[in-house]
Amino acid sequence: MADTGTGTRRILRLDERGTAGPGGRTDEVVLGLSPAFGDFFTKTIVDIPHAEVLRELLAGIEEQGVHARVIRFRGGSDLAVIAHAAAKLSGSGIGVGVLSRGTTMIHQKDLVRLSNLELFPQAPLMDLDAFRKIGRNAARYAKGESPEPVPARNDFMARPRWQAKAALLHIKETEFVVPGADPVELDVRFQLADAG
Amino acid sequence: MTLVAGVDIGNSTTEACVAELAASGEVTYLGSALAPTSGVKGTADNVEGVVTVVGRALAAAGRRLAELDTVLVNEATPVISGLAMETITETIVTESTMIGHNPDTPGGAGLGVGTTVDFGALGECAPGEPVICVVGAGVDFEDAAHGLNAAVARGVEVAGAVVHADDATLIVNRLDSPVPVVDEVTLVEKVPLGMPAAVEVAEQGRTIRTLSNSYGIATVFGLDAEQTRMVAPVARALVGNRSAVVVRTPEGDVTGRRIPAGSLTLAGERGTRSVAVDEGAAEIMGVLRGVRPLTDASGEPGTHVGGMLARVRDTMSELTGTEPAAVRIQDVLAVDTFVPQRVTGALAGEFALENAVGLAAMVRTSRGPMRLLAARLREALGVDVLIGGVEADMAVLGALTTPGTGTPVAILDLGGGSTDAAVAERTGVTRSVHLAGAGDLVTKLIDSELGLDNRELAEDIKKYPLAKAESFFHVRMEDGTARFVTEPLPAETFARVVVLSDAGMRPVPGRHSLEKIRQVRRSAKHKVFVVNALRALEQVAPGGNLRQIGFVVVLGGSALDFEVPDLIAEAVSGLGIVCGTGNVRGSEGPRNAVATGLVAAHALAAGLDQAVGE
Repeated sequence: MADTGTGTRRILRLDERGTAGPGGRTDEVVLGLSPAFGDFFTKTIVDIPHAEVLRELLAGIEEQGVHARVIRFRGGSDLAVIAHAAAKLSGSGIGVGVLSRGTTMIHQKDLVRLSNLELFPQAPLMDLDAFRKIGRNAARYAKGESPEPVPARNDFMARPRWQAKAALLHIKETEFVVPGADPVELDVRFQLADAG
Repeated sequence: MTLVAGVDIGNSTTEACVAELAASGEVTYLGSALAPTSGVKGTADNVEGVVTVVGRALAAAGRRLAELDTVLVNEATPVISGLAMETITETIVTESTMIGHNPDTPGGAGLGVGTTVDFGALGECAPGEPVICVVGAGVDFEDAAHGLNAAVARGVEVAGAVVHADDATLIVNRLDSPVPVVDEVTLVEKVPLGMPAAVEVAEQGRTIRTLSNSYGIATVFGLDAEQTRMVAPVARALVGNRSAVVVRTPEGDVTGRRIPAGSLTLAGERGTRSVAVDEGAAEIMGVLRGVRPLTDASGEPGTHVGGMLARVRDTMSELTGTEPAAVRIQDVLAVDTFVPQRVTGALAGEFALENAVGLAAMVRTSRGPMRLLAARLREALGVDVLIGGVEADMAVLGALTTPGTGTPVAILDLGGGSTDAAVAERTGVTRSVHLAGAGDLVTKLIDSELGLDNRELAEDIKKYPLAKAESFFHVRMEDGTARFVTEPLPAETFARVVVLSDAGMRPVPGRHSLEKIRQVRRSAKHKVFVVNALRALEQVAPGGNLRQIGFVVVLGGSALDFEVPDLIAEAVSGLGIVCGTGNVRGSEGPRNAVATGLVAAHALAAGLDQAVGE
């Protein structure tokens, strides 16, 4: 259990509900969170609160009429591993992986781990609109539609400018890895900060 | 024994066959080959392609260049074709009367009628007042739902909502009593406020019933007969949508306007007539039929059509060294098509399928620089080069080597730029015709109707069947069958419609369904190839009567298409004609007809060839 003040108006509450199992419903997308997402870390590399990131991903999925399930992947901090694990637990075979710093990937269970459906590698360029669209596209894949891929932005300066911080965040995130640990199912609640 | 090579220089491919002629006149075909044509057909630039193809054919026959006695070349006359597209209708929405786009996920279901109110002013509405709430950019879905619920709790009758963001389902999921919500209205700030409006959303898989019906709109707004007449175009524009908003403004209207697209002047042996391009393809082709055979055509300067015809003329005059004024357009094909265009004045970036006319034109000259080409070829190959007879006659001779054919026979040569036809009667008389419009026009129609803006992809869609990648291990084919693969498909093809090209699966971007792409592809082929096949046969058939033709042999690159020959066969099946794809010499398929015909004619003439040049 982790209470996270976002600094703005919403508080993210993630309650662990035991080991995450494979989903039975075909209309679901599984969101796989990295070990320290919404826990030790509360915001992305560009200070977007994790509460808002998760809310937009979930909203994008809900808007499409698709069910979402959130898990925390504890056994590693590699995005492809997290996203692929989420996809394998998903009843639709579609999963989304998110790292604390904001890097995101849409994966499918039958793909090889290092492949993906859509990858958003540059965390500093991720904004809330992008997260909403990623949720939307993941849900559309789950429905068997052919979504237009979310435009992946690219900035040549992002790498030199953010690489050091990204590396530090990755090292920190990796410290929370529990090797061999099972992914856990999470209950997600958003509370308004002023509502306590 | 002499070794000869027949070479057919076509618009896009050069074909050759190598044969041995016995003194008795007996012909033994040894090998054939094809290569892309270098340069424009019938010019000295072709030498490179001819040298390549002769080399390949000799290699296939296991002979050397030194053994070759004669090269026979068809009388290749340059053909230049041009294409133009002119959009002739547009839809204009005035005073933001209507939002007729199809967001993927509108919220709620049913019809809501009320006065438009900005979300910020919802608190000022009196209880009992029916309102349609307009939620602008930047309003969070939870806040929007909360505000709507609060207004309802106060007794305000919230009948529906129009939303900027893709939030309709999110909002409706949080409402105490769901109402129809239309979302993704990008210019929501332009929705007139304080006006009577109606929002309608249909259940998934259905289309709206009230706002797409003129009397439905009249009922909602209490319109009289005259006013109903005014809103009829709005209703028409909304047919087939799953969601819609209609706002009743004093002057609001939706109009369909015809865009003047200039005129086309067709001069024929039976007179000269002008036709406005925006009259559509049927009218243009009707006028053409009236003046046929065409001697020249020109378009109004400053229009696409005028520009295209001038371009064709200029290219040909450059090539042959004649005055542009002396170049005559010999045929025009007009085709009705659709182009997706942004609706002027629309609030949600709506697209309407507007009417357009596609035009193909061609010129052909009899004065190609053939002597120069022959002389250059002689230099390059060091072999005697003879220019053979008329292309159409040669093609007929070649086509007759198809097993099962007999006279009277008609050939249809479906190429890239033009469709050629020739008929050979029992008496030996041949007649031929060259028409504008073939494979390139089909590609263009597919490209514009699907809004691809990618010629190469359109070309692939034309040439190969489609499938939908339903998982990484199976695709659903066009005919509904599933095909399984053992190796997982590439990630970029997942969930997409793919073209099954020879180079592998190629995903088609955009959200067109497989059925839609297939229908566009088939109708484009029908509009060009079937129409042209009938037009061509009609012009060469004895007495213009198609029933007088016994056999039709389909030749040319486009005859290799997986459905064009079937479409044509279907179209002429009622006329008692045997129609099929040629199989030259029983082995070459629809290829190599002219090259084969050249050799056959040479063998027949036995020494009566006219050597040109020297």
